[in-house]
Amino acid sequence: MAVPIGAFIAVSAILFFIGVAGVLVRRNAVVILMCVELMLNATNLALVAFSRRAGLADERGSVFVIFVFVIAAAEVAVGLAIVLSAYRNRPTVDVDEVHALKG
Amino acid sequence: MTYDLIGAVLFALLTIGIVAAAAGVVLINRITAAALFMAFAFLCNAGMFVLLGAETIAMFQVLIYVGAITVLILYGVMFTPQSERAYGLFFQQQKWLAAILVAPIGVAVGMLSFSFRDTGRPLAGGGDLVALATSVFRDFAFPFEIASVLLLAAMIGAIVLVKRDED
Amino acid sequence: MPPGPFGLDPVLWAILRLLIAVLLAVGLVFNGALAQIYLERKIQAIMQDRVGPIHVGPWGLLQTFADAIKLLGKEDIRARLTDHWFFLAAPAIVFSPMLASYVVLPFGPGILGADLNVGLLYLTTLGSMTVLGIVIAGWASNNKYSLIGGLRSAGQLISYEVPQILSLVTVVLVVGSLSLTHIVDAQPGWQILALYLPLAFVTYFTAGLAETNRAPFDLPEAESELVAGFLTEYSGMRWGLFFVAEYGEVTVVSAIATTLWFGGWHGPWTDINPVVGPVLGALWFTLKTYFFVLVFMWVRATLPRLRIDQLMSLCWKFLIPVTLINLMATAVLLLVFPDTHLPVAIANWVLLVLAAAAVPFFQRRRLVALRQRLAAA
Repeated sequence: MAVPIGAFIAVSAILFFIGVAGVLVRRNAVVILMCVELMLNATNLALVAFSRRAGLADERGSVFVIFVFVIAAAEVAVGLAIVLSAYRNRPTVDVDEVHALKG
Repeated sequence: MTYDLIGAVLFALLTIGIVAAAAGVVLINRITAAALFMAFAFLCNAGMFVLLGAETIAMFQVLIYVGAITVLILYGVMFTPQSERAYGLFFQQQKWLAAILVAPIGVAVGMLSFSFRDTGRPLAGGGDLVALATSVFRDFAFPFEIASVLLLAAMIGAIVLVKRDED
Repeated sequence: MPPGPFGLDPVLWAILRLLIAVLLAVGLVFNGALAQIYLERKIQAIMQDRVGPIHVGPWGLLQTFADAIKLLGKEDIRARLTDHWFFLAAPAIVFSPMLASYVVLPFGPGILGADLNVGLLYLTTLGSMTVLGIVIAGWASNNKYSLIGGLRSAGQLISYEVPQILSLVTVVLVVGSLSLTHIVDAQPGWQILALYLPLAFVTYFTAGLAETNRAPFDLPEAESELVAGFLTEYSGMRWGLFFVAEYGEVTVVSAIATTLWFGGWHGPWTDINPVVGPVLGALWFTLKTYFFVLVFMWVRATLPRLRIDQLMSLCWKFLIPVTLINLMATAVLLLVFPDTHLPVAIANWVLLVLAAAAVPFFQRRRLVALRQRLAAA
């Protein structure tokens, strides 16, 4: 008997929880981006697990995973561009200190 | 020892790898070490994909995540050097409250995830690529085109954002 | 799972086979590197009208062993590093993907590590993991020049992956499969794919030169630029490991070029005997691969080094448009004429001639200025 699908979903859920915890706790903007990538990986794992194991005829989950790859790459690029231009303004990437728009 | 035991052992190892690497990303103070732990989590995720029989997706995962996104994040880390702050303000006093609130959610999610049943009929591993390609270019051709336009827009946007105004 | 010899337990036999395969691959890589270090020095010497190593052994054949012993005996200098573990891990991260590439190369009919049906995608993936090791090597050296060299090299490697992958995709379009054995089987006899897709071969070779950090694209690691770039702080066997990784990568790129465009292990007399045939096939494969390795060294002895901005504009402004046009033309022609490959071949040769003629056309203003300067001098 192969590994049950519930185990894969549980691992995906744990990874997602850790990612959310990272986004909430860490203050460095680049580390927050890293934790967002962890969350995206968790969803990819869940999608592929369902696509391969749930017995559908085609592989829609895997196709959606390809689009998630594309969007994750685009998001990391633009996110880092924003962080770098904010760093040029004031040399800090601490999200607690970048609140110049606050009233 | 049977073949399925190897699958279970590999799954256990990959799970430990993923969870430890993710915990490392969140908890480690040094950012470059956190970036490398993230790359290790990506590799273990690719291993999980191989276990599920989706080898093509696993290779795309390594190609895109480890090959490109990790390097991008390392560039970001290297261009924003900061002195290391003290660890002190990390979890503050809310960790016990957080644990009490997350525990029932965790139990509920765990019960939900183990309630899924698979058909037990493994899909053909080798047929993964052809089916994938047919789906992407036939049924999902329009989202594919939109995704390419999105990538182009993101690329141009990132370049414009980071460009210095050279007079 | 098959049981092992003498009735060995199948799982144990599988693990033992894996170990033997890894040791064989490591042996292949290191011996190849030994041969190539000697070949490089001798060939560069011959092309530069000098003798090269002649003292150690007949014709200097044992020179590499002397070099290896010297490298092993060097002092392990540890400067004040940013991070000790990253510094140690970087050569391993650069070496491992290259070693893992040897498993899908078809050395002969049936002589293959693993016949993955996504073999070419696997090779591309491994090629992109090397970038991480180089960035870490540059960062961990705690040296501004190493960091700049490492980041420049990473930029170069990432940029040149695109024309490399596009050239490979052109071949995949014509053959219809990513599996390397299918690609070799699609080139029986003299119908090698280089006759149909020469432009893809030329662009792949150029991108491969840049991917392996070889001349004329070896700015990140050249000794006269940036104090050897990301390799500055590495001495002794750690540097040796980087160089074995580079020569291994050169062999992999040459092997991919032979497999995709020159028929792989095809050659005369490969099917006379079930035992002698595969061995002969492996011999033809090795000869063809080392021919391309020699072409790598020939190019290194001939062409001057490109500056980083010239390198980048060559990639983004020349190679990528050329490969994209090639890919589009091949795809459209394959769609319009699905049975024959002749239109694809004609289009490719026309595009090759156009691309070769386009270089002086686009550089005509610089050529005019150069002629004026030469006439005035």
